[in-house]
Amino acid sequence: MNRRQETRLAAWLVAPSLVFVAVLGAFPVLSQFVLSLTEFNLKFTDERSFVGLANFAKLLRDDVFWRDLGQTFQFTVVSVGLELLLGLAVALLLNRIGRGRAATNASVIMPWALPTVVAATMWSLILNDRIGLVNSVLERIGLAREPIVWLGPKLAMTSVILADVWKTTPFVAIILLAGLKSIPRHYYEAAELDGAGRWGTFRAITLPLLKPFIAVAVLFRAMDAFRIFDLIWVLTGGASKTETVSVYIYRVLFRYSDLGYGSAMTVALFAIVFGMSLALIRFMRIADDAR
Amino acid sequence: MARVRHTRIWLWLARAGVIVFCLLPLYWIANVSLSTSSALYKTPLDYFPRPPVLENYRAVFAVNQFPRNVLNSFVVASLTTLLTLALGSPAAYALSRLRLKRKNLIMALFLGVAIFPAIGMVGPLYVALARLHLINTYAALVLPYTLLSLPLAVWILTHFFSTLPTSLEDAALVDGCTPPQAFLRIILPLAAPGLFTSAVLIFIFAWNEFLFALILTSTPESRTVPVALALFAGLHELPWATIAAATVVSVVPVLALVALFQRRIVEGLTSGVER
Repeated sequence: MNRRQETRLAAWLVAPSLVFVAVLGAFPVLSQFVLSLTEFNLKFTDERSFVGLANFAKLLRDDVFWRDLGQTFQFTVVSVGLELLLGLAVALLLNRIGRGRAATNASVIMPWALPTVVAATMWSLILNDRIGLVNSVLERIGLAREPIVWLGPKLAMTSVILADVWKTTPFVAIILLAGLKSIPRHYYEAAELDGAGRWGTFRAITLPLLKPFIAVAVLFRAMDAFRIFDLIWVLTGGASKTETVSVYIYRVLFRYSDLGYGSAMTVALFAIVFGMSLALIRFMRIADDAR
Repeated sequence: MARVRHTRIWLWLARAGVIVFCLLPLYWIANVSLSTSSALYKTPLDYFPRPPVLENYRAVFAVNQFPRNVLNSFVVASLTTLLTLALGSPAAYALSRLRLKRKNLIMALFLGVAIFPAIGMVGPLYVALARLHLINTYAALVLPYTLLSLPLAVWILTHFFSTLPTSLEDAALVDGCTPPQAFLRIILPLAAPGLFTSAVLIFIFAWNEFLFALILTSTPESRTVPVALALFAGLHELPWATIAAATVVSVVPVLALVALFQRRIVEGLTSGVER
């Protein structure tokens, strides 16, 4: 097969999925960018009028948007941080398991593989203040006199974060486990010969070599956490200071039918997630070079 | 020696703790689904069903369209898996093993779709699908799901294809295969484990997806399981025992996939990271 034949075959093989993505993907994405520059509310009119960047100006003055952006940020930082710590602990544990690995791995992946809606349903039942398992156990062992309102104004964000940590720690753990497995065993043998303790070995060998895997896990998780929708929609509906930007966008687009403003917010969210990913990648490169 | 034994005990304890933490919510939902609905309001609560009853499962399958919703989920997830692999595996083959211009640009296009907030794509897709009279059909979900899972599939499959030895095509061509034949008859069968791994991940994604299914279907008969489950609470006055039974039914396929193929799932999740 000569060069030209090969390139032609490759083009034919890529073409179907490229066309598919271009037609089905590029269209909604581009139409969001176009709509974000218009005033277009299906409740009042079928007409759209070009308003330039007015929607974005409105966004900057919208207190609800800033509040939700803050809450989204809080949710992302706390949940991804906890998932990283717990995921690392679980990965270190899984890496040391010999017998019965399959059963343990299967149980650990389970929360990740379940539908988010199912996870949310389970947790709202377990955390229910009147009939939930958690309050029942706390009362039985005498830790709580009165039922704790887990999904009320004070604790709702904590509960949402707990459910997210339960569901996505497995993902982080599996990625980090792959990292641990990629570290050659003789590094550890050498460290032992040098008389390095456990903590020293962890800091000098495990952590640095795990860094690229930590980077990927944090990147994927942060991108998902920042766009979180279904978990919150089912658990709290966005009440009790848990509304994230995606839930607000859902409200604006599908309850208020304000396509122009909702699209502008989507574009803003995209820009933030995109910028955040670039910043994370760059930050990790710098941290890498500094070594 | 004593220290080794101590470590081993601690490892077993930690392992038991992790397993309990991961599976406890599942146990609890199963427990509630097998209890009478009045058992939930007892104080203190029973921690296992006494006696176990099946009335909640009967209610789930009798009262509404739930069996239909389960069927919908199966059809949508299977068609999505097939279509994604049919589109994705040739593309991944070309991207990993053939000479092609602007590979990075093509990859960037796939990943761009993956980064864009789904909440923003669903509105325009609704308008387009409504114009084509596809709302409430399987196509309304299969097409967007394929779009969303294609980046992941291409990503995983390029990894699998690139692990095969490069001399394979040359040998096939010497034996008289045409290049497309070399791909279909030699490479694709050898990449079967990779295809299978991607299939499991795509199926799980499509089975679980909620946001698109919520907006792109509007009748009870066309809904998939997650949406039916989320809207259940609104229909009845929070019949927790019935909801629990519906939840258990909806997770059975996922439980089976994880139990059978946990090794493949781990492989698939990590294959993108290891390069």
